[in-house]
Amino acid sequence: MAVGTAVRRPAAPLTEGLGTRVRRFGEIAREVLRNPTTLIGLILIVGMIAMAILAPILIEPNTPNPYQMPRDWGALNEPPGTAGHPLGTTQQGGDVLYGVIWGARTSLRLSLIVVSITVIIGLIVGSLAGFLGGKIDELLMRLVDVFLSIPELIFALAIAAVLGPSFGNIILALAAVFWVKYARIIRGQVIHIKQNEYVDAARVIGDSSLNIYMKDVLPNSITPVVVQATLDMGNVVLIGATLSFIGLAEAGLAEWGVLVSQGQAGISAGRWWASTFPGLMVFLWALAFNLVGDGLRDILDPRTESKR
Amino acid sequence: MQIRDYVLRRLMVLPILIIGTSLIVFTLTRVGGSPVGIYLSHEMTPQEVAEIEERYGLDEPLPVQYLTWAGGMLTGDWGWSGVAAAPVRQVFPDKLGATLELAVAAGIVAVAMGIGLGTYGGSRRDRLPDHLTRVFSISGAAMPIFWFGILLLIVFWVGLGWAPIGRSGADIFQSIAHPTGLYTADALIAGNWTAFVDAVWHLLLPAITLGFGTTAIITRMMRSSLVETLSEEYVDAARAKGLPEKLVLRRHARRNALIPTVTVIGLSFGFLLQGTVVVEIIFRWPGLGRWMADAVLRGDQATIMAYVMFTSVLFLLVNLAVDVMYAYLDRRVVLGT
Repeated sequence: MAVGTAVRRPAAPLTEGLGTRVRRFGEIAREVLRNPTTLIGLILIVGMIAMAILAPILIEPNTPNPYQMPRDWGALNEPPGTAGHPLGTTQQGGDVLYGVIWGARTSLRLSLIVVSITVIIGLIVGSLAGFLGGKIDELLMRLVDVFLSIPELIFALAIAAVLGPSFGNIILALAAVFWVKYARIIRGQVIHIKQNEYVDAARVIGDSSLNIYMKDVLPNSITPVVVQATLDMGNVVLIGATLSFIGLAEAGLAEWGVLVSQGQAGISAGRWWASTFPGLMVFLWALAFNLVGDGLRDILDPRTESKR
Repeated sequence: MQIRDYVLRRLMVLPILIIGTSLIVFTLTRVGGSPVGIYLSHEMTPQEVAEIEERYGLDEPLPVQYLTWAGGMLTGDWGWSGVAAAPVRQVFPDKLGATLELAVAAGIVAVAMGIGLGTYGGSRRDRLPDHLTRVFSISGAAMPIFWFGILLLIVFWVGLGWAPIGRSGADIFQSIAHPTGLYTADALIAGNWTAFVDAVWHLLLPAITLGFGTTAIITRMMRSSLVETLSEEYVDAARAKGLPEKLVLRRHARRNALIPTVTVIGLSFGFLLQGTVVVEIIFRWPGLGRWMADAVLRGDQATIMAYVMFTSVLFLLVNLAVDVMYAYLDRRVVLGT
């Protein structure tokens, strides 16, 4: 078809050839390395993920379930520096260092699962709403509004409460709360891109909707989704740890919020370590992903750059 | 579009959102099974259980149960709280007073410190104070409040022995009348200085803990909007006519930088509200949040439902008020859908 050859797609990121894409990635990487705060965040992330992955090598896994704190009944409430327990022990004889290291693994698991689930749900809901438009769009977006009208933590708390205290239910509760933002982002992108001329052009030359979706809509939505997902990798752990601090995870789980909660009882007796170290990990984890997420937003979205 | 139309339309959507929220809350609590559990004991026969179900309408179809519950919420029958061993409605006002006092105090801390720090950093762009306030505001968003509160307790309660825990001294609270439910206000009304000092002293650490995240958000917004207004032409004009930098900052730049900051202040209300759950646990504060946490751990459905409904409606109303105020403050805002 003669018309078809005349229609050119604009230089949207994914319609470029592989070479340009690799070069673009290189540019982004260089910019990340140039910003000191983003770089600090990145180093923290690499360090903590390495800790999570290498956990079984760093410290001997508890049997049968390594995600459960080992108990040393001969060493309750030992201060940091005790032989065999460099960060001390909890009042149940749990090794704080074990909790810190395996807690990283628990957090990595939690954030990866929740972020993947919510991105997928958001992708489906947002695309349906944006593409189909009309009544379905209206209905789905009102649903999103309703979900947004309950404060995040309280919503997750109520869901986890109903499902019963367990780590699996914390995952479900967080997933039920966090998908909403992605649905909004993707719907916005779909509607924005639908208005572009090149999509009309693609239609004219007979591209199927699915094809347009894969080639134009998805690639253009990736940037804001990546930024949000990076921030959420931190937020999920922050709110997840809050839920388990309140008491919604299994007792004895090697998870930072659970440890802070256990350590809380001992602080009046001067035992500061059992809460301090695991809590510091939650802070560093959330901080790292926030720093990188902010840095990425500034690099990928030039509109906000002037505000820095 | 006229602001009046905008407000009217938002007001019309509000009931839909509230009904939607109530449907979610109701469905959610029914997913966990029948709420009859809280009325049961081990010695009851199946027949007695059935009688209780009948008495509370729990044998009716779900839509009827929903209407019964929603009607109850509207008419002031909020059910029985197993945790408080009393009707929810009866315990609610006292707890709300304690929580509101905490949230308002935290809000004051956050607004005062946030605007102060934001101005301090933003007016010294790219110098050391600016970098320090930026580090502070980034770390605020990542700070787990449950940990921050415990750190403060370790230092100021256990270590230095300066700060107390709980809401009040044992006898002082009893010694005055409580017409408002806000301890600080009640102490002032009673004219009892000892009680007032006691109230403020107990309020300080929890308010700082709860306000920390919000302080960071406000600092950040204030800084960036001040940096923006400082580069506007009218600020240059003010400088050109010879105004000292201090006055330029105070009269021209800061005033305009406050507009977007006000919005952030309003929107961070939800953040404060949900933070009370954790802060009240740590500081043994007898408010709604700790009650909710107990209710969650013990499956007290009536309390959970009332609490979530109440907070969501409050959250929606505050957000609406903020949006309307913003529309008034800044006429340029696009009142689109």
